[in-house]
Amino acid sequence: MIADDKDVLRDVWFGRIPTCFTLYQDEVTEREAEPFYLLLPRVSYLTLVTDKVKKHFLKVMKAEDVEEIWFEYEGTPLKWHYPIGLLFDLHASNTSLPWSITVHFKNFPERDLLHCPCNSVIEAHFMSSIKEADALKHKSQVINDMQKKDHKQLWMGLQNDKFDQFWAINRKLMEYPTEEGGFRYIPFRIYLTMSDRPFIQKLFRPISPDGHTHTLGDLLKEVYPVAIANEAKRYQVVIHGIEPLLETPLQWLSEHLSHPDNFLHISVIPAPSD
Amino acid sequence: MVVMAERRLECSWKRHVVEQLKQRDRVQRHAFEEIIHQYNRLLEKSDLQTVLSERYQSDKYDLQNRHDSSPGLDLSRNDSLQQEMAQMRIRHQEELTELHKKRGELAQSVIELNHQIQQKDKEIQSNEAKMEEYQRQIAELEGECRELRGKLQDLEQANQTLKDEYDALQITFGALEEKLRRTTDDNQELVSRWMAEKSQEANKLNAENEKDCKRRQAKLQKELAEAAKEPLPLDPDDDIEVLAEDSGKGTGETSPNRPLSRTPSKRVSGQSPQSSLLGSISNIFGRRPGNSYGSSPECTETPSGVCADVRVPATALHVFEAHDGEVNAVRFSPGSRLLATGGMDRRVKLWEVVSGRCEPKGALTGSNAGITSIEFDSAGSYLLAASNDFASRIWTVDDFRLRHTLTGHSGKVLAARFLLDNARIVSGSYDRTLKLWDLRSKVCMKTVFAGSSCNDIVCTEQCVMSGHFDKRVRFWDIRAESIVRELELMGRVTSLDLNHDRTELLTCSRDDLVKIIDLRSNAVRQTFSAQGFKCGADWTRVTFSPDGSYVAGGSADGALYIWNVLTGKLERTLDKNHSSAINSVSWSPSGAYVVSVEKGCKAVLWSDM
Repeated sequence: MIADDKDVLRDVWFGRIPTCFTLYQDEVTEREAEPFYLLLPRVSYLTLVTDKVKKHFLKVMKAEDVEEIWFEYEGTPLKWHYPIGLLFDLHASNTSLPWSITVHFKNFPERDLLHCPCNSVIEAHFMSSIKEADALKHKSQVINDMQKKDHKQLWMGLQNDKFDQFWAINRKLMEYPTEEGGFRYIPFRIYLTMSDRPFIQKLFRPISPDGHTHTLGDLLKEVYPVAIANEAKRYQVVIHGIEPLLETPLQWLSEHLSHPDNFLHISVIPAPSD
Repeated sequence: MVVMAERRLECSWKRHVVEQLKQRDRVQRHAFEEIIHQYNRLLEKSDLQTVLSERYQSDKYDLQNRHDSSPGLDLSRNDSLQQEMAQMRIRHQEELTELHKKRGELAQSVIELNHQIQQKDKEIQSNEAKMEEYQRQIAELEGECRELRGKLQDLEQANQTLKDEYDALQITFGALEEKLRRTTDDNQELVSRWMAEKSQEANKLNAENEKDCKRRQAKLQKELAEAAKEPLPLDPDDDIEVLAEDSGKGTGETSPNRPLSRTPSKRVSGQSPQSSLLGSISNIFGRRPGNSYGSSPECTETPSGVCADVRVPATALHVFEAHDGEVNAVRFSPGSRLLATGGMDRRVKLWEVVSGRCEPKGALTGSNAGITSIEFDSAGSYLLAASNDFASRIWTVDDFRLRHTLTGHSGKVLAARFLLDNARIVSGSYDRTLKLWDLRSKVCMKTVFAGSSCNDIVCTEQCVMSGHFDKRVRFWDIRAESIVRELELMGRVTSLDLNHDRTELLTCSRDDLVKIIDLRSNAVRQTFSAQGFKCGADWTRVTFSPDGSYVAGGSADGALYIWNVLTGKLERTLDKNHSSAINSVSWSPSGAYVVSVEKGCKAVLWSDM
């Protein structure tokens, strides 16, 4: 069982999405730019892993035509501060692979995207997510007891794709006092494609007051019952590209299927019609 | 069962998750991994090709530009050939320049290396020179070292020899010590044995003496008994009468010499004017209270003239060094055979007067300071000397042994005298006291405070007379311990003497006057003085002649003056033989000799021969 758990953690960490980056046709180039293919890590962030992409396309462009890089998929600007896996599950889950992303160097959409001038911005966002998650799980006790170097280690582990380095610290964030049976509250966000709200985030306990563990189904019933309203299974509940069974315990999901930022990012997408 | 169910349930969703993840990876990752990887490699290669082709393009354009100026038929062919050759030439030239450069570099490095080698050679030379220097030093040091080692060996040998010698000496010393110890022990043993023997001898002597005494007593008793038995041949003034009367008046008796001659007593000068038999009896049995002496004042003045054949000395028979220092006191023994002198050298020396000379007989030691006065007891067997060490001592004359030491005074003892019973001693001291000592218990029986330092003492039966620093002569009653009388003179009293019948007291005082005091009337009867007679010290002693007819005294200028008592005039002055002040004079009881002792260690024996 435990071996299985470890496998799950590894599979989650090393998950990849085959992506094809194509330069936007209106970008001014000296010569034709070939598309660039890359296996993107699910758990990372776009601007963190696309240096090669940028370099590739800059080869065919003149310096004065280059502004901040940004990505879009089928017209939707991709928010870099969402994990890549989440973006894929949310936007392109049931499309054919590889995922085609269009690269832009001009006309940055100020209203839709945040600027990302350098990696420390990504680090700040990442660390703040972790702290928010721990606030929900342990009232911030665990994260505050850690030293700065531990925080740094978390970030470096993510940046350099080092599973062991990251989980050496992260396992502390996954501990809970045994008498509690789980975290105080589960850090989760439910993302919807057809909604004005960016996501749903609420306080939800992993153990009910009368002691039985809450499942994914309990969570959805509580927070977004629409997802499981049984109308010929209209929605898929996707985490890390898979659909866990609704009876999966929420506590286990939070421990094993969270992203590196300790949040359970859940996508609810319309089921494919075929 | 619930657990099992739960576990199976757990397994089911977990397994679902695991399987889903695996499938996802298969679809999304594994399918595309290889392709994307290869695609990227091709991309890289094509980029490289582009870069290279661009570079070649630029070269080609350069070459074309140069060959545009030379037209020709086979332009195109020549062009290509020329291009080729040009390229080759370029390449060769480049190679050549490169080789030249390399050669230059190598030459440079050769020069540098040569330079380095030269430096290294120099270093090596200097090192070798240093090494030579060091080796030389080492050789020197080795030489020194050997020398030192040799010296060390020598010293060690010498040391060893000394040690051996020392050990040998130690052994010898040990042996000698042992010998010494043994000898000392032997010596001790011998000394103790000798002492034992001596004491035995002394005891024997004492026993003999006693025996003798007893014998004599017995003999006398016998004779007395016989005499008592024989009524006839004796005189009317008889012993019987005398024996009956205890008071022993004997008025007008001139005791015959005979009974006296019968007594073996050594006493020469007549003790009592009356029956000398009585006197001798008293003498033998001793310690009879002197009733007989109480009546002495009633008897005539005339001295009994007992044996005292007094002759006024005229010449010095023998001048000799008596002591190693001042001679303070001189005394004849009652038998006139012995002379005792005492001096500042702490000794009392005994001399025998034989054929006009004083032969040294012995010395009495034991005093710790100078001797101030000497007296023999009436038997002549004990000698009493007073000393500056605050004590008086008694020796037996025969064996020169110190018998008693009487301490107790807190000042110099200036005079010590036997009381007439020879069992007690009175001493007078600088500490202004007179002490009465008992010889049997050897303790001081009485101490009287005289008030002034006592220079001389004489004793009668009842009375002790002392002459003092404060010019007084004090008369003490022995039994009552109080002053009976005091007589004041003109100067400090230095000397007292009694005549043979104790009727007259001779005094000498610092006012250079010698006086005779009548004891019955307590008045000065006669005063003697002379032109040059000066009393030299507080202890200058003058003396009666044995019969009381002359008075002799020594002067500070070393002259001996002799006065005639009857006439009161200076009889003779003997001033030739002394070189310093005369301290003391003694007239032998036989009357034949006078001895005077002086400050300057000398003693002179005078006689009239």
